[in-house]
Amino acid sequence: MRIELDLRSRAGGFALAVRAAWDERVAAVFGPSGSGKSTLLEAIAGLRPAEGRIALDGIDVSGLPPQRRGVGWVPQESSLFPHLTAGENVLFGAPPSRRDARRVADILEIGALWERPAAQLSGGERQRVALARALMSAPRLLLLDEPLAALDLPLRARVLPYLARVRDELGTPMLHVSHDPHELLGLAGFALRLEAGALVAAGDPRDVLWSAAAAAGLSPRENRLAGTVASRPDAGLIEVALDAGGTLLVAGETAMGARVLVEFRAEDVLLAADRPGAISAQNILAATVAGLEIRGGTLLAKLEAPMPLCAQVTARAGAALGLREGARVFAVIKAHSCRALA
Amino acid sequence: MTASEVAGIAALTVKVAALATAVNVVPGVLLALLLARRDFPGRSLVHALVALPLILPPVAVGLALLKLFSRRGPLGDLELAFTWKAAALASAVMSFPLLVRTVEPAFAAVPRRLEQVAWTLGRSRASTFFSVTLPLARRGVLAGVLLAFARSLGEFGASIVVAGDIPGRTETVSMALWSRIQAGEDMAAATLALVSVALGLAATLAAETLARRRA
Repeated sequence: MRIELDLRSRAGGFALAVRAAWDERVAAVFGPSGSGKSTLLEAIAGLRPAEGRIALDGIDVSGLPPQRRGVGWVPQESSLFPHLTAGENVLFGAPPSRRDARRVADILEIGALWERPAAQLSGGERQRVALARALMSAPRLLLLDEPLAALDLPLRARVLPYLARVRDELGTPMLHVSHDPHELLGLAGFALRLEAGALVAAGDPRDVLWSAAAAAGLSPRENRLAGTVASRPDAGLIEVALDAGGTLLVAGETAMGARVLVEFRAEDVLLAADRPGAISAQNILAATVAGLEIRGGTLLAKLEAPMPLCAQVTARAGAALGLREGARVFAVIKAHSCRALA
Repeated sequence: MTASEVAGIAALTVKVAALATAVNVVPGVLLALLLARRDFPGRSLVHALVALPLILPPVAVGLALLKLFSRRGPLGDLELAFTWKAAALASAVMSFPLLVRTVEPAFAAVPRRLEQVAWTLGRSRASTFFSVTLPLARRGVLAGVLLAFARSLGEFGASIVVAGDIPGRTETVSMALWSRIQAGEDMAAATLALVSVALGLAATLAAETLARRRA
């Protein structure tokens, strides 16, 4: 399905303007809080006034009330009707003739919860029921507004696969908002990044994500580098040719030619004044110190190797190495310190 | 005063309060919903007007109603003045603010988001009201209705002006109580006071029970 957006919405002092089009089944929206992600979804759902065009497969729905847009919406916090059971919630918007409740319930594994009052469900159960409820109204587009935000990390990891099952088994197109874009890398085929109500990047999720990191958005301590798997020199080891130049050996099994995002923590980057000789680490990169930042007892070094890297060392180690801007150092990174996200 | 006289007065009082409440429910709930959900020009004025009967002397409200409904008044053709229905009307006007002011916060406490979800699931605004908003606000709505009913049981000032104290026709417990005090019939007055305590207590207890019952 092709989704085309060209909409503008104003509320109070906030203005949103987004123009994008994609065919991918799952699209991700990210951006800092207050960037307009939820506003965008509410405008698409018809819950807030907006001008312009919202076309689903070429049919403009922007003039229709929310009831007739065929757009499902799963808001951030729990939105289950507390006076109904899980099953009554799921069937709330379903046309009486729909018989696939069982299939949706199976995919989301909520059959056993059917008779339970919504108020007695756990966080993960609530979000699965809310997802089922939205799906049962047979939406042409499903809007997910950080449906996992209220869940802790392990629970999030358990609920996430359900979204992949919805994508693969029901094929419902989704537009998914998250402030943790990593969560969506495996799920989304298209990404939009918003900042202060404006669309600043759109396209392949890894590219959009890297543009966000480069814009100093996310977390300066994390290294995130996009690239392509160039070779598989050994079992469990891949060589990634980075878009920013250079290569890294990374633990992983990703297929040749696949696009990946390599990430590692700044404190997993060792610095050496001279090139280390015999060492188990697989990556030794000659680098120039481009910038230094002192935070308490730690030193954050920005390196060009030639790809941009962040290394975190103690202030004491930094002094012993004589770190200063323009200094030549060697960055040492273990293949197992890196994660390759396909 | 015979027991059947007392029973007749109590029955008329309940009938007057029941009609007053029945007249109030639909407009009161709709106005409460409007005030809870919409921001419109003049909203504060409407709020103030709704509260007016709480603040005005009840006799003044009764006088205004009498001017409206007396034989030569603009609504005189309805022939309501000095009937039990006039007492009910006066009670309705006096208890309307209690109904609206109790129900409005109950509607305001229903998350907007739940109504919006219902819309995206294809439910009309009316269907959303009956399947989401009203069930979730029902305790506040019931409490408001019963509070208005209880208030009507004791209505006096406005009713006596517009309905008069006509034994057997418009005489409610509070009117009978007043006339017995005037006549110095202390035993009858005490009996009527006890009746009004019993009626008020029953209505308030019912409200409390309904408000506390869960699910």
